[in-house]
Amino acid sequence: MKRKKIIKTVFILIGVGILTAGGVVYYMFNMPHRNVQASKTDYLLNAGQLVAEYLLDPAAANQKYLDESGESKILEISGTVASVSEDFNDQKVVLLKTPDNKAGISCTFTHQTNDSLKDIQKGQHITVKGVIRSGAAYDEDLEMYENVIMEKCDIVLKNTNS
Amino acid sequence: MKKTTILTITMIVTMMMVAFKPAPEKWVSSKTHVKFFSSTIAEDIEANNYKTVSTITPNTGEVVFSVPMQSFEFEKSQMQKHFNQDKFLDTKNFPKSKFTGKITNLSAINWEEDGTYNTLISGVLSIKGVSKDYNEEGTIVVSGNAITVNSTFNVILADHGIAFKDGKPSTNVAKTVEITLTAEYQPQ
Repeated sequence: MKRKKIIKTVFILIGVGILTAGGVVYYMFNMPHRNVQASKTDYLLNAGQLVAEYLLDPAAANQKYLDESGESKILEISGTVASVSEDFNDQKVVLLKTPDNKAGISCTFTHQTNDSLKDIQKGQHITVKGVIRSGAAYDEDLEMYENVIMEKCDIVLKNTNS
Repeated sequence: MKKTTILTITMIVTMMMVAFKPAPEKWVSSKTHVKFFSSTIAEDIEANNYKTVSTITPNTGEVVFSVPMQSFEFEKSQMQKHFNQDKFLDTKNFPKSKFTGKITNLSAINWEEDGTYNTLISGVLSIKGVSKDYNEEGTIVVSGNAITVNSTFNVILADHGIAFKDGKPSTNVAKTVEITLTAEYQPQ
């Protein structure tokens, strides 16, 4: 009698364990992507500062800003709008760059945040929040400077003019 | 009189040098799509990248692609994390993959005339710091003031030092993945 009870308890415990483990695996497998806009900003900078940091020491900048699992730093970058375009996924792309800077910040918005750019004009000074994907550098093969890349962007602040 | 002659000759020579210097015309693309596709019995995995930068120099046939690896986006966040980690692509230490190559049938392409041209490109692809030679086919579409390049080719992950001995990725990620790329260029 007592033995039966122990066996029953053990089976229940094993069952609960399997269900919990399964639940965790299922959750991990279907875990949603990090919501960049709802997450805390790691660094506030202006476009020129970030480019300068990358051109000075790319290795140090990569260590500082990039994450090994791809969840890299979330930045708020202020800068001047040089152009607004659209990518093959119908996402808006804003280039923050002043003529005296060698490279700029290429910020890709999302289907949800595209509308934030509706009234944005070239030359306007704005602050964009997003996740950094790669830094700025001069590429010898492309024979040009590559921009810093940010994605999942939205505007957090806009001034009427720069 | 003499001074004027020297000046004139210098001017003519300078003008000729400028006129006969081959136009270093370069086309640049930042409107691109690179797709990664892996298919196994277990599952199909797809990732998309819209932040690749590319250049084409029609005179020489040189083609360059610079691919920011952290911009590959997967449906499942866990897959994206695995992709970035050091066992797979180690994107923190190798944030960009690069292809540098040449169009080998340059004479078959008329850059001034609208049309679709089949093209052969041969070059070196460097992923995770490991380079390998590739000879691939693609098309170049010349249309008005824009050029579009399309190509689909296979990458054997082990060629670039990417191999899984065990765990889920060893069964769920194909040994050979298919890369599809499209890039739209504007003259620079």
